[in-house]
Amino acid sequence: MVVGSPSEEKCIRREIKMKFFGEREGMTRRQFFKGAGMLTVSAIFLGAFSKLGFDAFAASTDYIEKRAAGLYALDEKMAIRKSHENPEIAQIYKDFLSPGEVKPVSEKAHHLLHTKYGKDIPNFITELKSKQNEAA
Amino acid sequence: MSTVLTQGIINVTSDCRACDHCTSICPTGAISGLLGQRHKIDHNLCINCGQCLINCPFGRIEDASMVDLVKKALADPSKFVIVQEAPAVRVALGEEFGLEPGTNVKNKMYAALRRLGFKKVYDTEFTADLTIMEEGTELIGRVYGALGVKGYENKGPLPQFTSCCPAWIKYAEDKYPKIIPYLSTAKSPQQMFGAISKTYLPTKLNVNPANIYSVSVMPCTAKKAECNRPEFISSGYQDVDAVITTRELAALIKEKGIDFNKLPAEEADKFIGASTGAATIFGVSGGVMEAALRTAYEILSGSTLDEVDLKAVRGLQSVREASVEIPVKALGKALPVNVAIVTGTKHVDKLIEDVLAGRSKYHFIEVMNCPGGCINGGGQPIRREMH
Ligand code: SF4
Ligand code: SF4
Ligand code: SF4
Repeated sequence: MVVGSPSEEKCIRREIKMKFFGEREGMTRRQFFKGAGMLTVSAIFLGAFSKLGFDAFAASTDYIEKRAAGLYALDEKMAIRKSHENPEIAQIYKDFLSPGEVKPVSEKAHHLLHTKYGKDIPNFITELKSKQNEAA
Repeated sequence: MSTVLTQGIINVTSDCRACDHCTSICPTGAISGLLGQRHKIDHNLCINCGQCLINCPFGRIEDASMVDLVKKALADPSKFVIVQEAPAVRVALGEEFGLEPGTNVKNKMYAALRRLGFKKVYDTEFTADLTIMEEGTELIGRVYGALGVKGYENKGPLPQFTSCCPAWIKYAEDKYPKIIPYLSTAKSPQQMFGAISKTYLPTKLNVNPANIYSVSVMPCTAKKAECNRPEFISSGYQDVDAVITTRELAALIKEKGIDFNKLPAEEADKFIGASTGAATIFGVSGGVMEAALRTAYEILSGSTLDEVDLKAVRGLQSVREASVEIPVKALGKALPVNVAIVTGTKHVDKLIEDVLAGRSKYHFIEVMNCPGGCINGGGQPIRREMH
């Protein structure tokens, strides 16, 4: 069974309208092709395209590198750079997840912050629901 | 109308140009089609990553949207609508407003979200830090278990794989069910946020958790599928109600007529909004590993890590490895921790096969589906400029 397959009625959480994104601003490749009227599909086109695909890749690492550099620069600017030094992290453990102390994977942390995968999911859901009924 | 479930998020439109580019991008072979014919996605194989979408030269691939749900919640006075934003969003959102890729707009982003009507603006980086605490502790447990330390039996096998990328998780579940025991049981930062936003947060704010509507802004289309997975109900409600992408947030800001670049710099709200540099780098490949090592080193050694920048795990190559010596106080000896970082799910197969054959030398493996990490996720601004 594929977890979450459409046939699984109970997985249907809601109906969502498909929405299509509008065209982006600026001269995107898509618009370029539109403007150039190169819309017919053909083997010739495919050949021309692989070359463009290569260009797109060259362009692509450039913006990936810039976004990565942006995150590393922000990391360097942050006053606190280690997760365990985040004061609100200490607070959530002391006030809620492991009252009075900072103890990861406490019982509550385990319940709220950990999960199961694949074929273990149906039983896990049953477990979660029975816990909720107990609490109610 | 289409039903959005835990899959089927990504679809090819009827006017596909059949150029076949997407088939070379897809990590799972889910997308296919004959030359000259509309391409199709096999949703059983598709891991919802949206790489085909951001790379289709004609923009003929679309993701399902929950924007209308978010708008409805924002217009409903009985709802207490709150929001989290992933690290990678803040260095790409500005591109939709004419800024260079990499420009950090986090403080304007918080301001924009308040003007869109969110009652409280938090940050996924808080739960990225929480992920490090939980996943790091889990890793230490597995390492101690493997060393035969008393009290650490049955902690799970090594190596431990990261679990914050839902595309990677679905890939593992679909293709390598035998690898599941090696996956960290820690939820992703998005789902941790959802769970505490309807349990811990209400105790701090005195709000009825039933009225909280928890929205997530992600660089990722797979996160839309993740929030709908039926097991994410540990708060007693659906933990995360709706996910919108970086692109969709930009569209909302424009639609509302907000002059983004003129917004003041604001801060996130308190209790679940504070973040660290370690959490920030979750958005780039190698970042989860670096954040985990910073914390694991200090906790295991009991001493301060002076060189915080662990450059050995950085870079854009699809598979990277490093070995870090950690002096473990409790054991009175130094422990080499071997790590690997994979970016691009198609590159993980060999590492998995080594693990299943018992030949893996690693303790911890980070896997991010999108090349470069979430900064290049399927929900990010599309960059298809001609060069
Ligand atoms: S890349 Fe886009 S236009 Fe080309 S075959 Fe795939 S969906 Fe169709
Ligand atoms: S969303 Fe990802 S897995 Fe699905 S068809 Fe597109 S590239 Fe392939
Ligand atoms: S790498 Fe990040 S953006 Fe890409 S699928 Fe995984 S979580 Fe989403």
